[in-house]
Amino acid sequence: MATTNAGDECVFEAIALKKEYDDGQVQALRGVDLRIHTGEFVAIVGQSGSGKSTLLQMLGALDHPSSGQLLYRGKSLEESSDLAAYRAREIGFIFQAFHLLPTFTALENVQIPMFETSRPVAERKTRAMELLKAVGLEKRVHHFPSKLSGGERQRVAIARSLANGASVLLADEPTGNLDSENAGYIMDLIVNLHREHNVTLVMVTHDMGIAHRATRVIAMRDGHIVSDGAGVPSAVS
Amino acid sequence: MTFLSIVSRGLMRRPVRTGLTMIGIAIGIAAVVALVGMSRGFQTSWTNGLKTRGTDIVVSNMGSALTPKPFAATQADKIKSLPHVAAICTLMVDLISVEKADMMIVSARQWGGFSWGNLKIVSGRLPKDEKEKAVVLGQTAADVLKKKVGDTLQLETDELQVVGIVDGGAIVENGSVILSLSLYQEITGNDGKINVIDLRMTPGTTKEEAAELTERINSLVPEAKAVSAGDNIRNSQGYRIINAMSWGTSLLAVLVGVLGVMNTMLMTVFERRQEICILLAVGWRRGRVVRMILWESALLGFLGGIGGVVLGVIGVKILITAPAIKGLLEPDLNAVLLAQAVVISVVVGVISGLYPGWRSSRLMPSQALHG
Repeated sequence: MATTNAGDECVFEAIALKKEYDDGQVQALRGVDLRIHTGEFVAIVGQSGSGKSTLLQMLGALDHPSSGQLLYRGKSLEESSDLAAYRAREIGFIFQAFHLLPTFTALENVQIPMFETSRPVAERKTRAMELLKAVGLEKRVHHFPSKLSGGERQRVAIARSLANGASVLLADEPTGNLDSENAGYIMDLIVNLHREHNVTLVMVTHDMGIAHRATRVIAMRDGHIVSDGAGVPSAVS
Repeated sequence: MTFLSIVSRGLMRRPVRTGLTMIGIAIGIAAVVALVGMSRGFQTSWTNGLKTRGTDIVVSNMGSALTPKPFAATQADKIKSLPHVAAICTLMVDLISVEKADMMIVSARQWGGFSWGNLKIVSGRLPKDEKEKAVVLGQTAADVLKKKVGDTLQLETDELQVVGIVDGGAIVENGSVILSLSLYQEITGNDGKINVIDLRMTPGTTKEEAAELTERINSLVPEAKAVSAGDNIRNSQGYRIINAMSWGTSLLAVLVGVLGVMNTMLMTVFERRQEICILLAVGWRRGRVVRMILWESALLGFLGGIGGVVLGVIGVKILITAPAIKGLLEPDLNAVLLAQAVVISVVVGVISGLYPGWRSSRLMPSQALHG
């Protein structure tokens, strides 16, 4: 199985990772082995039910694997006593459905993850303003999600994912709910963040055009990795 | 944005439901304020009445009824010559129906006793002597009975003339029908019976001397018990029962409030499942999520408590104008009781939030990705 190493340090290492649901009746991951290095842009592709989103959830410690090991920078996530801190400080999530909190403005949504840090109130607000400015939303900071377009919502979500200076971005179909123009803008934004800040980017996508922009593409089928390397495998294309 | 603003925003998601829950709590807390306030007010009013009469020690048998049991008037003779006793006044105090008033205090006092001394004549006069078939009415009693000087008053089977309206200086005194002891004994067929001895101590009597005096009275008059004026009503079993019933009814109302808040918070957790999962996904600790739910329910309790206190105070003010109660008591709505009511409400909120909070802490952040 080929790997593309962007940096020396291994960010994630999965060893025989399995995830089962309904007492083993559904096997979402069937023994995944994987290494992701610092600064990589990894696209995970595959059909619905192939296990790609489940793998992303395991990497983000949103769920526990049924068996196998998952290491983050050499340390087992399962043995970590503080997964919340890991999710708050190390990982930034970007979801397909944005998942902004509807009763909070753009500015407030970006501040939400910062509650798990020691930043004072004023500093949280300043940081959120900076991030929203960075994604081009400085004039929409006081708008509620319902008053923002899909592209704008995703930009708020991106700003939120960077609130605590995450070194890894996990994106689950980030352009799945956007038109092509907004999708292009969002992808440019995410790729620029990855390049400028050397953020490790792991993205689940159906879109082969997006997968082509990744430095490494992992194809999954039935809970297995079926190919792993630079470029989109021809079978998947 | 502070944590409190997140909490308050949570409540504002469903303003109607939040409002209705608050009303539910407010009604429960209003019941606490009203019932306990009235019950304590009864005690305060009674005590103030004794103080206004200048009574230091009360000798009576406060059994399970609200009025004391009668005993022989001759018992008073054993007391009046004891050291530190400045004066005594024997009385027969009753709570009876008088004409259209369901419950009225009738205070029959030993003619010439010091308990007549606090009465200031507003109009008319005091009875000429103890045998005159006459009563004086406290201002509130006159108002409730709709009587003025010159009118007649039906007391039991006798018709008595209202010869004066008085200001007794306390709500119980002003709510009383006052007449001479011997006349009332004659009317009720209780010749030679009294149920209260008001005792005034000599000036400068120390606490120890007062305690010694009450002990001596208790040994001399086994039919009754001597207590300081402040403790008199607290020793009444009747009052204790009323007090216990007030708290019991209040706790029932509070329990309904608990269930209301718990239902609301469970609905909140259920409806905001995805939102809670998102908070967990972006790094919120489960403890913070639980705190958020608990703070929301506590805030709900606090606001409901404030509403309940306002509602309770207004309710009591209206209640005491009712003819059945008017003149009998002055509600004791002191700051401590109102603060207690708000604290109870906040505790109710926190307790109600425990289970929903625990439920929220069981959610997995991966559920944020579904739907």
